[in-house]
Amino acid sequence: MVIGLVSISTVKGQKGITKVEVNYSANFPTSSFKDLVNDPSFRGIDLKIMHNINDKMSVGLTTGFQDFYQKYPRAVYKLDDGSEVSAVVSNSVQTVPLLATFHYNFSPAQRLQPFAGVGVGGNMVLYRQFLGEFSDSKNKFAFQAQPKIGVYFPFREGGPTGLTLSGYYNIIPFKYNGTTNLNSFGVSLGISFPTRSY
Amino acid sequence: MKTGILSFIASVSMIALVTGCSKEPLNNLTDDESRIYITNHDSTVNFKSFHTFSIADSVAIVNNNQPGGKDQTAFDVQFISALKAAMVQQGYTLVDKGSSPDLALAVTVISNDYSGIISYNDYGGYYGDYWDPYYWGYPGYSYYYPTYYGVYNVNETALAVDMFDLKDAATTNQLKNVWTALIRGEGIFNTDKSTTQVQTLFNQSAYLKIN
Repeated sequence: MVIGLVSISTVKGQKGITKVEVNYSANFPTSSFKDLVNDPSFRGIDLKIMHNINDKMSVGLTTGFQDFYQKYPRAVYKLDDGSEVSAVVSNSVQTVPLLATFHYNFSPAQRLQPFAGVGVGGNMVLYRQFLGEFSDSKNKFAFQAQPKIGVYFPFREGGPTGLTLSGYYNIIPFKYNGTTNLNSFGVSLGISFPTRSY
Repeated sequence: MKTGILSFIASVSMIALVTGCSKEPLNNLTDDESRIYITNHDSTVNFKSFHTFSIADSVAIVNNNQPGGKDQTAFDVQFISALKAAMVQQGYTLVDKGSSPDLALAVTVISNDYSGIISYNDYGGYYGDYWDPYYWGYPGYSYYYPTYYGVYNVNETALAVDMFDLKDAATTNQLKNVWTALIRGEGIFNTDKSTTQVQTLFNQSAYLKIN
């Protein structure tokens, strides 16, 4: 509703513009991550600040937050020392990326502007596994790569403000307790707006 | 400018909404779910070789790794009774301890306290950084703290069951522990949970039976 009220000033080119992008994100664990958390996470946000170095290319930083959680029904786990543990296991993972990001806009100044991009950097991973109410935790700043495709819908043709819809894949190596990575597929939808009026 | 302001408001709302929806695992556990049951046994022992058992009629108390006497609360009685029933269900025969039982069972309540002291002087010195006396209308003044201490105490309690081999005691000259169980978590001393808890211990110890 807020978006519908927005009025936009048209700009002819995007070069030199610095924009902030705020996205709601949903993530779907894949690969080894699914052994920890199989449920998708609908509790996420990502924030970008991107500077257009020309009409097609922009560089910037990405950060954000994604909260993964899953509680498994009570089960008996056999441990290496021969003991048996009956517990409700809850896995909780929060990821906070900090990525250097590059976007390439295939059709600047169009009504729909598809783009591709990549982010490379680190991710502050907060991992906790609970057996009942007793937890084991591991915090680690892990490597992250994030290839991405998306489309930008300016509110007015060529305008610097609009909606961004993206799909991306998070590659996060994370070796702990049998887990080898926290890879996930993500989708995001958000608002992109310039840091000042043009 | 209007665009930027509205976009900013929408963005902040989105951040507040998402971060407010994070799941805290401990807030999503019932008392039953908070409990863990740990069992272990001597893998060289054949539990089918035992036939009779006896169980201590009271519970040993261990406080901070020190003996704390024995107790026999309503819960203790119920829990011991549930243990007897479970052993009988597994094919063992309950006998008096004077009748040379093959196995002995005992229950222990383990209680550990952790204490700490906060000296108000330790953090009070930072008050001025948060609320300068100017805030209260007294510029140039400083805070003064008498020697106050805050004491906090954390208590953790667990319930243990141990099983000893009496049948072979004369041969080995010791009462060897052949099975141990530990229950930790919330609500372990609720009287209506004693049977369920004992059943959980035996369900995960499939080797502990004759029949």
